[in-house]
Amino acid sequence: MVKYNKLHKDRSDCVLNKQLIEDTLTAALSTGGDFAEIFVEDKTNNGIVMIGGKVESTVSGRDYGVGIRIFKGFNSVYAYTNKSDKDTLIATAKKAAAAIEGTKSYIRLNLERSGVKNINTIKIDPESVEKTRKVQLMRQAYDTAFNCSDLITQVTIGYTDYTQNVMIANSEGLWKEDSRVRSRIGISSVASKNGEMQSGFFGPGASKGYEFFENLDINSYAKEASRIAVTMVNAKYSPSGRMPVIIDNGFGGVIFHEACGHGLEATSVAKNLSVFSGKLGEQIASPVVTAIDDGTISGEWGSFNMDDEGTESHRNVLIENGILKGYMIDKLNARRMNMDITGSSRRQSYRFPPTSRMSNTFIDNGSSTPEEIIANTERGIYAKNMGGGSVNPSTGEFNFAVMEGYIVENGEIKEPVRGATLIGKGAEILKKIDMVGNNLSYSQGLCGSVSGSIPVNVGQPMIRVSEITVGGREGAE
Amino acid sequence: MDIKALAKKIFEKGRQQGLGDMEISYSSGRDLSLKVFQRDLDGYSFSESEGLSIRGFYKGKMGRSYTEKVDESSIDLLIKNVAENATVIDSDDEEFIYEGSSKYKTVNTFNPDLEKVSEKYKINFVKKLEEEAFNADKRVVSVETCIYGDGCAETSMLNTKGLCLNDRSNIAYTYISVVAKDGNDIKTGFAYRAGNDFYEFNPKDIAEEAVKEAILMLGAKSIKSGDYPVIIRNSAAADLLEAFTGIFSAENIQKNLSLLKGKLNQKIGSDNFTLVDDPFMEKGLASKSFDGEGVACKYKKVIDSGILKTYLYNLKTAKKDNIETTANSSGSLGIAPSNFYVEKGKKTLDEIISGTDKGLMITELQGLHAGLNTVSGDFSLAASGYEINDGKITGSVEQITVSGNYFELLKDIEEVGSDLKFGLPGESYIGSPSIKIRKLSIAGE
Repeated sequence: MVKYNKLHKDRSDCVLNKQLIEDTLTAALSTGGDFAEIFVEDKTNNGIVMIGGKVESTVSGRDYGVGIRIFKGFNSVYAYTNKSDKDTLIATAKKAAAAIEGTKSYIRLNLERSGVKNINTIKIDPESVEKTRKVQLMRQAYDTAFNCSDLITQVTIGYTDYTQNVMIANSEGLWKEDSRVRSRIGISSVASKNGEMQSGFFGPGASKGYEFFENLDINSYAKEASRIAVTMVNAKYSPSGRMPVIIDNGFGGVIFHEACGHGLEATSVAKNLSVFSGKLGEQIASPVVTAIDDGTISGEWGSFNMDDEGTESHRNVLIENGILKGYMIDKLNARRMNMDITGSSRRQSYRFPPTSRMSNTFIDNGSSTPEEIIANTERGIYAKNMGGGSVNPSTGEFNFAVMEGYIVENGEIKEPVRGATLIGKGAEILKKIDMVGNNLSYSQGLCGSVSGSIPVNVGQPMIRVSEITVGGREGAE
Repeated sequence: MDIKALAKKIFEKGRQQGLGDMEISYSSGRDLSLKVFQRDLDGYSFSESEGLSIRGFYKGKMGRSYTEKVDESSIDLLIKNVAENATVIDSDDEEFIYEGSSKYKTVNTFNPDLEKVSEKYKINFVKKLEEEAFNADKRVVSVETCIYGDGCAETSMLNTKGLCLNDRSNIAYTYISVVAKDGNDIKTGFAYRAGNDFYEFNPKDIAEEAVKEAILMLGAKSIKSGDYPVIIRNSAAADLLEAFTGIFSAENIQKNLSLLKGKLNQKIGSDNFTLVDDPFMEKGLASKSFDGEGVACKYKKVIDSGILKTYLYNLKTAKKDNIETTANSSGSLGIAPSNFYVEKGKKTLDEIISGTDKGLMITELQGLHAGLNTVSGDFSLAASGYEINDGKITGSVEQITVSGNYFELLKDIEEVGSDLKFGLPGESYIGSPSIKIRKLSIAGE
């Protein structure tokens, strides 16, 4: 049975009446545009920060705005305003239309309001939960993290939840509303020893309501954050040079996100700017690599019912056994590429026009066990937990930081090392993934790109890269 | 929007609900952005936006809220949020609503001429910018991003202690990123300008700068791992400073999150290193007369000839250390510098290069949000640049990482160049000349 998402509709101001939507779209098309879209957002945000066991700041507030987008061929115009009265919307639509040179297009508007299949069930509306209860949860995380070790000198806990109500209507007749609820807690521990400090971080999140926290083993995440900080403050500097690297599951998936994911977004593919442009059907990765972008996984941080153009989320196979199968494509770039949209068009807020972005992106399970991978590695680095990274999609050059690393020697994990950075070129590294484990898991992150900062999952099982450049402070291996 | 009238209503309602002193900040503005791809204006965006934030005392604690739906219908929710948020605060730090400074210095952040530039002129500019990039070298195969933007913002700050301040600024910026190809070798280069004098932007200069960066990197190789003397070129040095600005924040000092704790009036950098926070800098894109709490801004040397002179404070952290604020509040939360830069030295970059026997010049650093630890100061960053032999640039270098520790780096600065350059402005406007470091660890082959 299809369930429709109705949460918070009573509080939301984002449903405009049909006449106003039609008048706005008509004004937007008054100079020859061939497509027009209106996006309304009404979002409540809650954020609490606890430092040293005390609540230092809490902010809650409301983001509200309307974005109007017009296409003509490959060109687009975007405008936004915080007001949703008739005069402002019509004036904004007309001003946007003025940027297009042409004559009125006769597009017959036939708006049909439809529901959205709900994949993220919200059981406890975070707005209904007392702030003191949220603070209790944070305090528990703080106490656990702080009491892990005498070396822990500071712990910061960040709590956020939000409810983003959106309405999208366009000149093709689409008219949909949705409500997106997300919850996340971040634990950052700092360990100190002999005047040096190292930190560890964990930040679980989901497209769920407060039930996410009730079912979360917060203590285990808090302990992990502190364990990483303590391990790293006791670690020596990482060696540097080219060597095999084993990257563990979960946030290790940031390697695929940076090395390949961004290069498969239509944002760079459509303009022939990606190293993966025009490579469909070609072997771009080692045959052990299958990679997927899946916005449909129930409750996951990077999932959504519909994208920011109103298209239902998809499961898109990007790479299958090393062969490039597909890209992530939004409406505008679909025109340039002459290909179908993939339910991948996203934006941080009404302040950004949407474009193709990742959702939950991961390397799929392979056939090796983690034990086999380690046992088969004579000498290299084991990256147990990763930090963030970045990429230049035109050259494919990426970099990312190892938050928790170890030396691997003769098939065994040895002493911890800190401060390692991995660099390389996406197209080369994909071919050097020679073992893929069977312990797929996801981790949460915020991905910043042209349409702002959006929640995404990265993920993978343990993988091994036969050779990658490791940057560390110790001399060459 | 009659913000004074709205403020009056908010304050009245707040008092009725048991709130103590309150303050609102209201900002409104307009933005324009023009994007060109293959001679076509393929992206055109504009906006008119506003927002209101409020903070106020409830039962002795400070609560905060904001809304982007700025009208009377939002008042009740704002006040409810302030009270609710204040209730869960259990920090003992004293917070303040400020009555105002006796004097505010006038800063010139608004250029009326920018508002008069016609849109047609701006479109021609950005199209010309792309064209110049293709003209500059036949190895330029595409222009990834070619953008012009400008905006104007106004802020008003009013509180129940009688403070009433206004501020207005405008800015234009342009950015171009090009792709050069030679055989299978692909390299990118970029250039940018920001300021509020549109007529200072020269499309040919900007395009050629970006193209030169890309072309010079063609044929780049990795190098042998090891320790090298390293010149960090101005913009890369500014990026690195920007990533580490948090270490100067009194908030981080007091929370044990900065290793500069207890180092005031001690030598933390080499003699030639002076770091300035100048909110009144001529053409400074973070210039301001008052900070996020309404306090009159001040010029200060944070590091003077290697000696750490002060941290950056807001009212709350200053009270804790029992000193005067440095007026570096960046609004409701946090502390940030204004125009923040390393004072320039005497030598030109060429002179520093020719004084380097064997080493590297880093022109770009990547992964600054990930590959460094602001708490420990450790960094390990993907980098590219040029190899230097016998005082001359002998080739370009890519696929390397440069590693070190920022606190050690400050002491290892051998030369400070005369080529002070600022990055793109944000909350702060951060600049540095090129600096030469005695040695850093490079990982390559």
